Amino acid sequence: MLKMQIFCALLVVFREHLGNTLLVLLLMFTLIGMSKRKRPETSSLAQSLVDAERVILKLIKSRENVGLWKGDIKSETRLPENVVTKALTSLQSKRLIKGVLSFQFKNRKHFIAAEFEPSKEVTGGSWYVDGNLDKHFISSLKELCFKIIQKHRVITGEGVHDFIKRVKATTVECTSQQISEILKSMVLDNQIIEVKSTGLAEYHSIPLGKVCYRCAPVGAVAQDTGAGAMASIPCGVCPRIRQCTPDGKISPSSCIYFKKWLDFDF
Amino acid sequence: MVSQHGIKLAVHLISSYFGDVVSKVCECLLRRGTLTLAQIVRFTELRKQNVINSLLVLGQHNCVQAFAIQQEGGFGEAPKIITQYIVLFDNIIHHMRFPKFVTIVSEELGKECEELFEGLLQHGRLSVNQLVDRHKQMSNQSVGLCTTLDALQGSFNRLVNARYVERCPAHEPFLAPPGDDETPAKKRGAKSAKRKQDSLELNGDAWATNKNKEVLWRVNFEEFVRRLRHKECIRNVRARLDNGAGVVLSAILEATRSEETKMKMENSVPLSMNTIFEEVMKSEEGRSMTLEHVRAILDQLGCDIPVVAIDETYSIDLKNIIGMAQNQEVESIVLKKYGREAYRMFRLLSKAGRLVETDQISNTTFVEKKDAVKILYQLWNDDYLQMENVITHGARQSQFLLWKVNNSTLWVQVLDDMFHAALNLKLRIAYEQEQEKEIMQIPREKLVGELEKRYKRFRKRRIVLESSLMKLDDALMLFHDF
Repeated sequence: MLKMQIFCALLVVFREHLGNTLLVLLLMFTLIGMSKRKRPETSSLAQSLVDAERVILKLIKSRENVGLWKGDIKSETRLPENVVTKALTSLQSKRLIKGVLSFQFKNRKHFIAAEFEPSKEVTGGSWYVDGNLDKHFISSLKELCFKIIQKHRVITGEGVHDFIKRVKATTVECTSQQISEILKSMVLDNQIIEVKSTGLAEYHSIPLGKVCYRCAPVGAVAQDTGAGAMASIPCGVCPRIRQCTPDGKISPSSCIYFKKWLDFDF
Repeated sequence: MVSQHGIKLAVHLISSYFGDVVSKVCECLLRRGTLTLAQIVRFTELRKQNVINSLLVLGQHNCVQAFAIQQEGGFGEAPKIITQYIVLFDNIIHHMRFPKFVTIVSEELGKECEELFEGLLQHGRLSVNQLVDRHKQMSNQSVGLCTTLDALQGSFNRLVNARYVERCPAHEPFLAPPGDDETPAKKRGAKSAKRKQDSLELNGDAWATNKNKEVLWRVNFEEFVRRLRHKECIRNVRARLDNGAGVVLSAILEATRSEETKMKMENSVPLSMNTIFEEVMKSEEGRSMTLEHVRAILDQLGCDIPVVAIDETYSIDLKNIIGMAQNQEVESIVLKKYGREAYRMFRLLSKAGRLVETDQISNTTFVEKKDAVKILYQLWNDDYLQMENVITHGARQSQFLLWKVNNSTLWVQVLDDMFHAALNLKLRIAYEQEQEKEIMQIPREKLVGELEKRYKRFRKRRIVLESSLMKLDDALMLFHDF
């Protein structure tokens, strides 16, 4: 619009100085030039892309911190694949959206509006990096928590968190929620046990009834060898136990696992 | 309902002890339930005399109990008394753990009691005179074994007082038909009829006697199961908490053993704090414990300790301890068979006791979701877990998989697997003995070089197999008897 106004103003000026004939010639050459020059904002493809970006951006924003992956965008907008791809690339380059790897579906990237932080549903939470569980970080934290509990004999979850913060034991700041999750997982691993404070003896500094943690006793089932009776014999963990019969093809006398288990050298 | 491999193990034990004919009769009763003599003859296709002899042997060894019932006659016929036979599965399986019972008697009551006790194990049921005769025979063969009659009677009385032996019930008690005015509590099956005098009617004879009309005695298996149950509870608490907890629980159970009204007590007999403390003081380890320490331990064991205790009594939840021991056994199988991640997930579900969704399991146990699904499917496929598929219909259809540990069905399967494993161990022991029977016939001093190596290898294998069987039997009792 502004260009049109300037053009009209120039026409008036030229008419005053060049006369009508020259003005007509100027006008003709100008029109020929305009028809050859590309005007992206007015071509249909360019227009459709801009429209697509607008539609997609609006859709992505509506999903806030969860966003959508490309497949969902295609099905909801019913736009062709190439249009969606180009629009997403453009929006990303304009930093209006960002791509986040989904922890649930490794080959999917969720697109989230730039102003939102991706939700745990997409990233997997603080334990995931680029869609993968940060196993090294988790095992390091577990080792650290175990040493703290070993040192204190019995300690609460908050106590572990405070100790880590105080001594700056980690390079990355861990929340008390994260420490709580780590401790729960260690209880499931039977590395530590969850008890309630009695307020007496070694619990004297912990309020009565408060949940705290101590190391599991030596000999608790935490070794890969297993301490149980069934786990100590081949039959107890045999994948073929259902097919095993006294006189069958798989039997106690012919069993290769028994043979290996009883293979002693003198 | 006895599991399939439980039956196979029982049949194998009877066959080892008494031969194939007796085991055939036993198997018939195990598979078909309570039967008459005629029915057993028909089903086993054995000669009648063989069946009768087998039943006598099984009865002598307390593996079968005969009982008489009244059967309604046909049209116009008077009711008649018939004899039926019921197999005592538990008593058959106890044969596998006789060495444990002997150890208990030896440790608690000494060598003389052990020798008398072994006689009852060997012969099933004997009168006191028969026990004395047996002792005389053995002392003729073995120098230094001779004991006076009074001493023998004393040893026998100690066994009776400790409840390790009991009188045998009548050979064939009569079970009166339930009357209209009888409550269900008064109706008794053959198994429980054998103990209580008031339910028995047979010419006034309450107890089994031999041909000399002497009362017969037998091992009281229930008392041994109770002792072993107590031992398991103490062992578990000691391992899970500490030695002090073991000392306190041991004191409580020792003090209340004779007051327990049934074998599978859910809670220990209630005791006051002072009584508990006095009992704890009796043991060497307990002497250094303070009252406060004992109170703290009782709290750890799950007792509610009031701030001000007036006439309070305390009781330990034994059922809970047994439950924890059972969980530990199954969890160790999962750990060894499926790995650490499966172990974590199984423990999560076991503790939850309800359906849990896959994502929640994956998040809580720090297992990648795709790995979690694979492992959960594997556990479900092997019947360790139950699975439910929930589909929600909303703006978008979503599918959720939920998982759960069902203890009641899983425990049945685990028990059957244990019976299977026990049978396999016994068969393997027999196989190893068969393989090396020639070596066993050679005098020890002639076993040199390669023969000596073979002998040592066989000995080690037997030790490993037999000790594994005893350890497995502890687990069997945990799931079947405790």
